[in-house]
Amino acid sequence: MNRFVIAAAGLLVALGPPSARAQARTIPFPGAVRPTTAPPPGPSGPLPHMPDGKPDLSGIWNGQRGLPNQPEPEMLPWAADLTRQRTENYSADDPEARCIPAGVPRATPYHYQIVQTPSLLLLLIEGNIHTFRQIFLDRKEHPKLSQPLWYGDSIGHWDGDTLVVDTVGFNDKFWFDMAGHPHTTQLHVIERYHRRDFGNLDVQVTIEDPGTYVKPWVVNRVSTLETQIEMSEYVCNENNTDALHLVGK
Amino acid sequence: MRWLLLGLLALTGAQAQTPPDLSGVWIVSGSPNLPSDPSYLPEALKLYQERKAGGDQEDPAKYCLPNGVVRVTSLPYKIVQTPKLVVLLSQGNTHSYRRLFLDGRSHNLDFGDSWTGDSIARWEGDSLVVDTIGLNDRTWLDSTGKPHSEALHVIERYRRPARDRLEVQYTLEDPKMLTKPYIFTRTFQLAPNREIQEYFCTDTNIAAQRAAPR
Amino acid sequence: MKKNLSLVILFSALPLLAHHSFEAEYDFNKQMKVSGTVTKVEWMNPHAHFYVDSKDESGAVTHWNFELGAIPVLLKQGWRKESLKAGDQVTVEGFLAKDGTKGMANARRVTLPDGRRVFGGSSADTNANQ
Repeated sequence: MNRFVIAAAGLLVALGPPSARAQARTIPFPGAVRPTTAPPPGPSGPLPHMPDGKPDLSGIWNGQRGLPNQPEPEMLPWAADLTRQRTENYSADDPEARCIPAGVPRATPYHYQIVQTPSLLLLLIEGNIHTFRQIFLDRKEHPKLSQPLWYGDSIGHWDGDTLVVDTVGFNDKFWFDMAGHPHTTQLHVIERYHRRDFGNLDVQVTIEDPGTYVKPWVVNRVSTLETQIEMSEYVCNENNTDALHLVGK
Repeated sequence: MRWLLLGLLALTGAQAQTPPDLSGVWIVSGSPNLPSDPSYLPEALKLYQERKAGGDQEDPAKYCLPNGVVRVTSLPYKIVQTPKLVVLLSQGNTHSYRRLFLDGRSHNLDFGDSWTGDSIARWEGDSLVVDTIGLNDRTWLDSTGKPHSEALHVIERYRRPARDRLEVQYTLEDPKMLTKPYIFTRTFQLAPNREIQEYFCTDTNIAAQRAAPR
Repeated sequence: MKKNLSLVILFSALPLLAHHSFEAEYDFNKQMKVSGTVTKVEWMNPHAHFYVDSKDESGAVTHWNFELGAIPVLLKQGWRKESLKAGDQVTVEGFLAKDGTKGMANARRVTLPDGRRVFGGSSADTNANQ
């Protein structure tokens, strides 16, 4: 029996029988496997600092990976149904596969480079599309936005050694993951970046969206520093022949 | 003796001079296209003329593919300058970035060629000199279809002669297509009240989400 | 010509993921294995592809289109643009496309001309973390 089925069965057992779940439902997702082990650690070494004394998050980081055994979110019925449909259809309609922005806080297997200045933190994204996020460290308010955005508007401030990034202003068109967890434009994402040491970056993501999730959904992830290879130029749509062959169920 | 001391002071002052800061949001002045035609070899000229005659059906920008390092849009660019890395953010085209490495590294073509190539930079006085190779041949030099080969070598010289003006001198060398180097200068105006806005070409352009024409 | 290539055989320590769900495009139940000659390599994103002509006993040729992983994933595993070239003799193990397109498959493992059997960066190995 393939290990995907085993993993899905394990999740079902962990969640309990259907009758025990209330109106807000959680979904095991056979199409995607949640990690069962923590990723191997990145290189050790002292935490670097900026001239102003703040931790320096700069570097090329491997894609964020979820820690194992994290709870699934409780969703409103519409969201649970939609996630199940998307998963059962093997994520064939995932916009990410059509080279559309993946939004926040989707994890990918690609790198991202953090470039830090006192007033701005840049996230240079290798893929799914080769773009960037700007996290403004020199303002405390979100402006009034003229249109909903794929990556929202991000402001950041330091809480001790943790950079807290607050993002609002999202559209509702992207998926949080391959399972297809959805959201509304009420989405509010808080990312907490804590560089533990030279090669390890802890990222705690809090998803708040009362239109979709019964309570805030917290996901703990980690990135390790990339030390062997540069980021490549990933142009998703230069030869996307897959888009013609995504069949689903 | 006093003159010797003053001379030494002047020398150390010059050595300690910090490079200019090119950071800011910049918008190209006037047309983003090349001001004239490069001197093309016959085969390349033929290709250029075919493209001009065919209109923009084959324009990679229409398929949301990268402009490369010579072609620009009229939408804002943002320069974020740090001691070892200068990042150029583009609002338009593919809403992407170029990294100009200021850390003394040499060219690395280990990954083969790409749309924006490999850019290494150094300061020469008040100019940031950027050297780029490793470009594929799939971009147009501007919207009229000016071609280039994968042998294209681009040298950009960035200067900020005034607070609100950025001047970039481009030298294009392409032994497979040009009879001689082509040099031109672009001016960018500082846009102090503008910020990069989101713009994703593939968002609504369904054809662009798929395979591109060669 | 000596290939300057060191490929690391990776297990699920590294998420070997593609930009699309494996199961949307390929079928775990339809495994294949074929040997043949490389005719073309497309070293482009979102997936590199390579094309192989294989011959059966009667001499009939099948044209294969194999999907490899995304280039950043391949690069990390030691693949380079020149790792495969037209004319190379290879053996490919993988999974057929779901939509029945003849000769279309996902390359899970490739046995290179020098005998090394390496991963193709396929999303078959795990879709975790996406």
